[in-house]
Amino acid sequence: MIPALYVSKTGLSAQNTQLSTISNNLANASTVGFKRDRAVFEDLFYQIQRQPGAQSTQDTKLQSGLQVGTGVRVVGTQKEFTSGTPQTTERSLDVAIDGRGFFQMLAPDGEITYTRNGVLHMSGDGEIVNGSGLLLQPAITVPPNTLQLTIGDDGVVSATIAGQVNPQQIGQIETVDFINPGGLQAVGSNLFRQTASSGDPIAGTPGLDGLGAVKQGALENSNVDIVEEMVNMITTQRVYELNSKVISTADQMLQYISQNL
Amino acid sequence: MDRALYISMTGAKHNMLAQTVHSNNLANANTTGFRADFAQARSMGVYYGDGHPTRAYALTENPASDFSPGASMQTGRDLDFAIEGEGFVAVQAADGTEAYTRSASLQLTSQGQLLTGNGLPVLGQGGPVFIPPSSKIDIGADGSITTKGANPLELAQPDRIKLVKPDLSQLEKGEDGLFRLRDGTQAPVDGTIRLQSGFLESSNVNAISEFTDVLSLSRQYELSVKMMKTVQGNSESSARLLQSS
Repeated sequence: MIPALYVSKTGLSAQNTQLSTISNNLANASTVGFKRDRAVFEDLFYQIQRQPGAQSTQDTKLQSGLQVGTGVRVVGTQKEFTSGTPQTTERSLDVAIDGRGFFQMLAPDGEITYTRNGVLHMSGDGEIVNGSGLLLQPAITVPPNTLQLTIGDDGVVSATIAGQVNPQQIGQIETVDFINPGGLQAVGSNLFRQTASSGDPIAGTPGLDGLGAVKQGALENSNVDIVEEMVNMITTQRVYELNSKVISTADQMLQYISQNL
Repeated sequence: MDRALYISMTGAKHNMLAQTVHSNNLANANTTGFRADFAQARSMGVYYGDGHPTRAYALTENPASDFSPGASMQTGRDLDFAIEGEGFVAVQAADGTEAYTRSASLQLTSQGQLLTGNGLPVLGQGGPVFIPPSSKIDIGADGSITTKGANPLELAQPDRIKLVKPDLSQLEKGEDGLFRLRDGTQAPVDGTIRLQSGFLESSNVNAISEFTDVLSLSRQYELSVKMMKTVQGNSESSARLLQSS
């Protein structure tokens, strides 16, 4: 059979993966703290039909051989941890990290998960949780009768309680960083888990040791660039079309020989 | 039977091989830093005995890859860069040898080693590049890496990425799609290469010319098949002439 059929098939499936990545990015274009993915392609191995530089006779060499490529492969997807644009909301439990770092959330299985999404809520018991109810780590409990919560740039949380003059410090938000954030495993709900390739979390105080400061009343938008995604979508579609055209051309060649001989 | 049938057959067979080379280029039309392969046909004369030298077989070969630059695409990521003009990044291939690539969407391991997007170690001035924990990594125009540590004043320059500019006629693509020097040596560092951080280079495949080649090869293939059909007709006619009625 014509190998071109299978080579173009790899092109189609790679463009298909690219389109799913783009559509996931676009679907999450307004998800707070979302980091865009990018599909990474590489050319598949080459088959050497005739070795370049082989002896054609005792004294002469083949100057150029024939190496036939076998298509394209999706190596994987890369999460791009560039920062998203900040958005001011003025809500006291909205926090954004200005720079590197992740918030820590306690997953139901007892493991710590990491997120850039700073939309926090209060549970019925006064604990600070995220939108899906996971506890912020280290845990902070807001006392009853709190009038106002203030979160400082270094993550110190203080509460102004009714009847008291001085605000009371009730906890400290710690953020963590990774050597290779790109190696984190995205588990959905804006959460990431640590893997062997991300390295161990390095905990610290926001604003110190290279960690970004925590900004109250702001959120980090997703870092999806809609224009870039649309342009990528156009090239993906055209490359897909051309590859499917090659398949139909190869098919016509086979049809021609089977009908004419 | 006339050997013309076999000559048409090599034509058709090698058209198919060239078709595969072009479809591989098209399949990689979106692969960053990919260099298109050329395919050309050559006539291989096999002449023996008396008579006209009419027996030339077709032979497809790819003499080189197209080294013209692709378009720069802005990504804004710290570890992406595109090389301006000629030049390559040195990486360590899976077999341990030094190889060259244009694809530079780099990533870090948990040990701080710098890898290409497909997981090959990037080479610096003395072996693979390792980067200490840092809050920001900058890749300069000449490949030197600057990291910002915990204190914004603590700038460190752990290494400089090895960039090379070997003679293009000496480069060949290996089975893994990476470029190496034909004689197996390593290219020296070239300090004149400039790169742009935050950009990636697209594939340099010209989709229109590749697809035109695919169409033209498909017509050429049909001509070869037509020749085979004609030879078959000739052979049938001569068989009919010799039939004893």
